[in-house]
Amino acid sequence: MKQDDRQTDENILFVGIDLGTSRSSISASNSTREWTESYVGWPKDFIAMQVVGKPVLFGAEALANRLSLDLCRPLEHGVIKEGISRNEEAVKDIIKHLIELAKPAEGQKIHAVVGVPADTLKVNKLAIRRAVSEAVDSLMVVTEPFAVAYGLNLLNNSLVIDIGAGTTDFCIMHGTIPTEDDQKTILTAGDYVDDQLFSYLVEKYPSARFNKNMVRQFKEQYSFVKDMAEDIQVEIPVNGKLVPHDIKNEIKRACESIMPALTETTIEMIARFDPEFQIKIKNHIVLAGGGSLIRGIREYLQDALKEYGQCNVTCVEDPLFAGSDGALKLAKDMPAKYWEPL
Amino acid sequence: MLLTYNKKRNHRIRQNILRGVYEDNLKIIGKGPEVIYKHRYYVPKRFLLPVVLSFLVIVLQSNFASAPFLPEKQPVSGPRSMPVLALNADESEGPSHYKAFISTPGMPISRIFGLGVRTIMIDPGHGGNDTGTKGQNGTKEKDIALDIAKRLRDRLKKSGNFNILMTRDQDVTVPLNRRVEMAKLSRADLFISVHLNYLPSRPINMIETYYFGPSSDPKVLKLAEKENADSSYSISDFKDIIGKIGETMKLQESKEFAASIQKKLFMNSRKENGNVYNFGVKRAPFVVLLGVDVPAVLAEVSCLSNSEEEVQLNTEQHREHIARYLELGILDYLNKGDVTYEARRQTDR
Repeated sequence: MKQDDRQTDENILFVGIDLGTSRSSISASNSTREWTESYVGWPKDFIAMQVVGKPVLFGAEALANRLSLDLCRPLEHGVIKEGISRNEEAVKDIIKHLIELAKPAEGQKIHAVVGVPADTLKVNKLAIRRAVSEAVDSLMVVTEPFAVAYGLNLLNNSLVIDIGAGTTDFCIMHGTIPTEDDQKTILTAGDYVDDQLFSYLVEKYPSARFNKNMVRQFKEQYSFVKDMAEDIQVEIPVNGKLVPHDIKNEIKRACESIMPALTETTIEMIARFDPEFQIKIKNHIVLAGGGSLIRGIREYLQDALKEYGQCNVTCVEDPLFAGSDGALKLAKDMPAKYWEPL
Repeated sequence: MLLTYNKKRNHRIRQNILRGVYEDNLKIIGKGPEVIYKHRYYVPKRFLLPVVLSFLVIVLQSNFASAPFLPEKQPVSGPRSMPVLALNADESEGPSHYKAFISTPGMPISRIFGLGVRTIMIDPGHGGNDTGTKGQNGTKEKDIALDIAKRLRDRLKKSGNFNILMTRDQDVTVPLNRRVEMAKLSRADLFISVHLNYLPSRPINMIETYYFGPSSDPKVLKLAEKENADSSYSISDFKDIIGKIGETMKLQESKEFAASIQKKLFMNSRKENGNVYNFGVKRAPFVVLLGVDVPAVLAEVSCLSNSEEEVQLNTEQHREHIARYLELGILDYLNKGDVTYEARRQTDR
């Protein structure tokens, strides 16, 4: 991209935002990179307001005070529920919060590219724009896997699989902006693993007391597929006393529960592509999103695809910021004239 | 050398992508192509004056050659009197415009040519001896498909704009070739076949919509084989019919129609049940779709192998909802390109 095609005004801060179901991150042209869990909480009543001391809380802080808050995860299942203004409000607040974290200079204009789960963009494009546009001066919305692909320069003959919390998004890049046909979303993702793990643990340890949040933390700390040598023991209260529990098998089962759909959809996406280019795509499969941190997932998928021929699966280096970094790259590369009407 | 070529190619791809992102976002906010073209065809002002002047000279010398203010030019007759700017037939914009016009995405042919859809034929899958699939609790596909089809008929009839026909409105066996004949004889303009799926290997709920076309997916072929049973068509009949696939317009239209049905059905179903899977729009060699000459789709509106879904399908409310989503899909397809409808749809979002 020629430098003179880009927006060079120093009075503009370019930001790339990855608005995820579980975590949201921002990368800015002033080199700031920040993230927050995609939770927003508002005090339930006056007393709660006194306790938490703020009108709105975000991320870990909101989770820690959840008993005093109306807690909202606005992109649960990957979409803003239509007609639920609270969810739109939550998206607005998250964006505002992220932009504050990026520390724009006073009077600086914000030009933002926001990556959202692919289904969100299909279903409620306008709702997303409505929720985000108040906080920025000019805005473009793209799908998360596309932002990742752009950031990694995977513009042609590649498949990006973004394993998020609410959805797993597949996006084939073939030298143009991907259409709806080039993208597919399935609902077997991080939240599905949480649900599975929760039910396996309830079944195995009926007297243990734990909640979904604890289960999510177990998953994030210990997730793996295939094999792992060390044991996994966590402390869970039983009758008020912390007792060590072995959860290795349950973690493995829960994490592997998403693999059949993931493998099947990967094969389907490759198979629907032009046969001449299928080999190239198979050698450029990239896993992104929090799910790419599951230990052994790359090898698992590569093994599963082996019977369809040679393939190469890699994971992005920094899944937390891969989406926002890609969105920032898009924002910076975007010619100035394209920002004007948006 | 190769490095430079790759660099240039990459640069071009990147520019196309950036423009694509921009155009997509313009569409979201409802801004028209004029905003896009304003930038795309930007011409520096310094080039504008010579171009305009040259154009005027050409036009004046040809079209107005006999005008009194250009006395030095002798009047000409015959072909030479044709405007200079007119192109030869094969160079003219006619055919390419025509192609672009026909392939306007999302615009039904009926609307392009101002044709109305008067008769819609609804085909409830199976019936009589042919029960179709069966849920674990004994729910039969033929019964649910018929009920949903009747509800869809009633809903479409209410609008008063269509003549609605059904291939069966009772629990009777109707061979597939008979269904095709009925659609042809009644001169139906649109054909929709209502079915329910069954996935023995995976107890999930899913929605998919088919239009006619070859498929290499063994699962799809197996489903087609199942749905094509009792078609009463012989191989030679089938060959004859396949010969008609050249009618690409029907295929294109069926694909558009299928996309509208799938979109409305899935999006709305998922609002009620987050666990429904979108299996998308697919091609499959279903006889019932091939034989009909007009846009035709086969919608697998739900999945009986999912026990929770089976329970839901036994409630009136759920069946009514499915019928409503099918109606929305049909109207969405028929109204694509209608300015008033599109505007209303934008505000409804």
